[in-house]
Amino acid sequence: MWSYFCKRLGLSVVIVLCALLALFLLLHLIPGDPVKIALGTRATPEAIARYAEKMHVHEPIYYQFWIYFTQVLSGDLGADVFSNRSVTTIVLEALPSTLILAAVSLFWAALIGIPLGCLSAVRPNSWFDRLTGVLSVATIAIPSFLVSIWSLLVFAVMLKWLPVIGAGDPGDFWDQVSHLILPAFAVGLGWVGYLARMVRASMLEVMNENYIRAARAFGLRERTIVFRYALKVAILPTITLIGIGFSGLLSGTVFAEIIFTRPGVGKLIYDMVMNRNFPVVQGAVLVTTAVYVLITLCADLVVAWLDPRVRDSL
Amino acid sequence: MGNLVEIRDLNVSFSTARGSVRALRDVSFDVPRGRIVGIVGESGSGKSTVIWAMTQLLAENGRVEGGEIRFEDRDILKYDADSLRAFRGAQASIVFQDPMTSQIPVKSYLQQMLDIAYRNRDQSRAEKTEHAIAMMRRVGIPDPEQRIRQFPHQFSGGMRQRTGIAMALLMHPQLLIADEPTTALDVTMEAQVIHLLRELQREFQTTMMVVSHNLGLVAELCDEIVVMYAGEVVERGDIGTVFASPAHPYTRALIDCDPARVLERSRYLPTIPGELPDLRRPPDGCVFVARCPHALARCHSERPRDHAAGEGQSVRCHLFDPTAPQATGMSLPHGQTAATPNRAVESVDAPVLISVRDLHVSYQASGGPRALLPGQKRPSIDVLVDVSLDLRRGETLGLVGESGSGKTTLGRSILGLVPAKSGSVRFEGRELTALGEHAFRPLRQNMAMMFQDPIGSLSPRQTVRSLILEPFDVHRPDAGDRDALAERLADMVNLPRELLSRYPHQLSGGQARRVGVARALALEPQLIIADEPTAGLDVSVQGDVLNLMRALQIERGLTYLIISHNLPVVRHISDRLAIMYLGRIIEQGDCEAIFHHPAHPYTEALVNGIPRPDPTQRRQLVSIEGDVPSVARRPAGCEFHARCRYATDLCRAESPAERPLSDGRTVRCHYPLID
Repeated sequence: MWSYFCKRLGLSVVIVLCALLALFLLLHLIPGDPVKIALGTRATPEAIARYAEKMHVHEPIYYQFWIYFTQVLSGDLGADVFSNRSVTTIVLEALPSTLILAAVSLFWAALIGIPLGCLSAVRPNSWFDRLTGVLSVATIAIPSFLVSIWSLLVFAVMLKWLPVIGAGDPGDFWDQVSHLILPAFAVGLGWVGYLARMVRASMLEVMNENYIRAARAFGLRERTIVFRYALKVAILPTITLIGIGFSGLLSGTVFAEIIFTRPGVGKLIYDMVMNRNFPVVQGAVLVTTAVYVLITLCADLVVAWLDPRVRDSL
Repeated sequence: MGNLVEIRDLNVSFSTARGSVRALRDVSFDVPRGRIVGIVGESGSGKSTVIWAMTQLLAENGRVEGGEIRFEDRDILKYDADSLRAFRGAQASIVFQDPMTSQIPVKSYLQQMLDIAYRNRDQSRAEKTEHAIAMMRRVGIPDPEQRIRQFPHQFSGGMRQRTGIAMALLMHPQLLIADEPTTALDVTMEAQVIHLLRELQREFQTTMMVVSHNLGLVAELCDEIVVMYAGEVVERGDIGTVFASPAHPYTRALIDCDPARVLERSRYLPTIPGELPDLRRPPDGCVFVARCPHALARCHSERPRDHAAGEGQSVRCHLFDPTAPQATGMSLPHGQTAATPNRAVESVDAPVLISVRDLHVSYQASGGPRALLPGQKRPSIDVLVDVSLDLRRGETLGLVGESGSGKTTLGRSILGLVPAKSGSVRFEGRELTALGEHAFRPLRQNMAMMFQDPIGSLSPRQTVRSLILEPFDVHRPDAGDRDALAERLADMVNLPRELLSRYPHQLSGGQARRVGVARALALEPQLIIADEPTAGLDVSVQGDVLNLMRALQIERGLTYLIISHNLPVVRHISDRLAIMYLGRIIEQGDCEAIFHHPAHPYTEALVNGIPRPDPTQRRQLVSIEGDVPSVARRPAGCEFHARCRYATDLCRAESPAERPLSDGRTVRCHYPLID
């Protein structure tokens, strides 16, 4: 287990380093002057000169990478082209809001989706299973921005149950919660169907295994068999999927963030791409990658913790 | 004492897309208290369906159409969900066929056993744990306190099956059902498990039902036998009586087919011609009539009833009808017996086709994070060590060993599918190990492989026709009239031509095996390496395949390397044997000589490990204890010393060299059993 952890951690570091290199090279591989790309088309010649000096563009490229690399290691992701604020600060300000949105969305989706899939698999082809199947496909098929707009329209504008936009007053916990409900609903809805389908499929497979028949033959309670035997095996691929899904949501919440005008990494990247604020984009993508790698690592560790075969094989 | 279980007129059918299959028809038999009843039959006989019906664990499309299963005078089929749960695991428990798949991989044995013991509400967790540990110790698990906290994948196959028995006996059930309890195990493990089951049955006074296709296992373990064919009980009775004078023609044929029955080598094995009837429309008369050599006119139209044959023996056959004038059953001779022994070629002087010298094959282990550092060598696992053998033209060499012995790896490395670390493999004097894939390719026409799993080794999306022509696509794309080729190959292996347009899943095991033979023979190779050619085949079909291989060998002068763990089968077809243990050949030489006088203690254990289909020859002791060690942790000295009853300090310290014996055999042992 320990050696597996070390190996996976080492691998994660390598992946982040690769991302770092790729992000650095991106700026240099795009045709044109890297400084102009970084600062955008409207930069003044003085700004370009100042920035070129700061980026050491006249030095050899490996030296530039070394500078960039040491800066990133010391936590300095560069500065916003327009406001000259630290990119680290900007990204870290946006990150928690996205993390919370993604976590809450997936949490409620898993809370509903996994039992739905489980119950469907216990009684395959029953009316419950068929209904769940239809609803699941429907929730997967509806784009999340449509859900965002409609839920906004119905619950916030027409029924006025929930606030329309923003993330709520930073000091007021319940205000923040009420601002979170609609975006989390919109982002998570598709995942309910997705997880239900996924769990159903792997549960069906596991329920046909010999050890489930053996558990029945030993007279175990059906409850024990479904939830403590079958689900314990069937959940493993789902955990990996949730890990990947969570990472994907770091930028995947962008529609919800735009529609509900919430701060967040997705919205940040979107805005900065539109503004051609390259350092911020670069920093945000790097941080997202790091978080992505970290979360996938956690998911794999959870799987290894739950599955002794994986634990021992590495 | 009375009967613990009484099954009366049990009928079970399965609904399939192509109609309802009547899997069990009017099955009736008793299981007396304290006895071991063996239920024997080939695939499709319904023997497993009986136990799934008993535990109400039939597949979802299965339905009990009628009949009773009385357990202590209560009909199990009328149990409600609660009494059924109380029955399963506590009153009747099952030892499963494959401990690999019947034990949940993500729970430790302790958790699994605590789950079974949930009913003992008056016991504390500590008491339950203690009880589970005691049961593990009873079935022979060393260090049960530690090992019970481990998971199934950390146990060897034999240990897993022992634990499966412990789990089944945990609640002290009155009835223990064993479903092919040794089929997934190696020979030496099989003997140990049979012995253990017999011991435990005596100790716990349990009544047992053993379902198996293995007559040897049943003869060794059971008191009574129930023979099933195509969903009906055709014969039942005392084990000694049935084996000594089998009454039903099917029982006789089945016993005749078992290669473990005959001690002398006969090159042709008896078979039961014909196929199982279509159970969607069972025949009006006797189920066995289409394959029966003694069929009378009334057998076709009239369903036989159960008649008494010998003492406590009942048979469902018209030949034993005392009211009929032609009741001659008792005096009928045995069915088809073995054809005359036939040794095709005296191969001793034949030229050497394949010569393997000091072959060494190893795999790289993953070796943890330290192995990623520069300068660190990853540990290698030696799979084959100093393997030398000669294969002469026209002979059959049987390569025998338990799982993990490296026998399949040896076959694959001769074909160049596994790279050799050192040593040489010569084919007609030409060195193969140094050849690249490109240079090797044309040579592959001369050597073909028959793969282990007859159906699994065929692509499910290709027709039989394109499967048997595939070798031509690879090596001789311009081979001429392809229809004629396909038909010629099908005829050669006695595969009906109409099967050419079928897909593998539509074939029976025997037919799929024939396709495998046709594929191997397509390019007329000189050498055929057959990996477990009869694995998964019924005894009646197994003889068919072996006879076909034998006939083709004589016709074409083929050379066979037969890889198998099935000693009785190997004995019947091999000229010479090579026995492997942990990647070494520990004994090789003439097949009969080895069987009669094994020189290596391991060979002796293997030969004695075969359960004989003769209840009068039960073994009293298990000749070999323990498990096959892992190749990753080879024991020092002679690798067999920990399991060898003759081992001395020399064996523990020094690995024995290969030495010749007076009769031309070679053996790797410090103290061979013969000179």
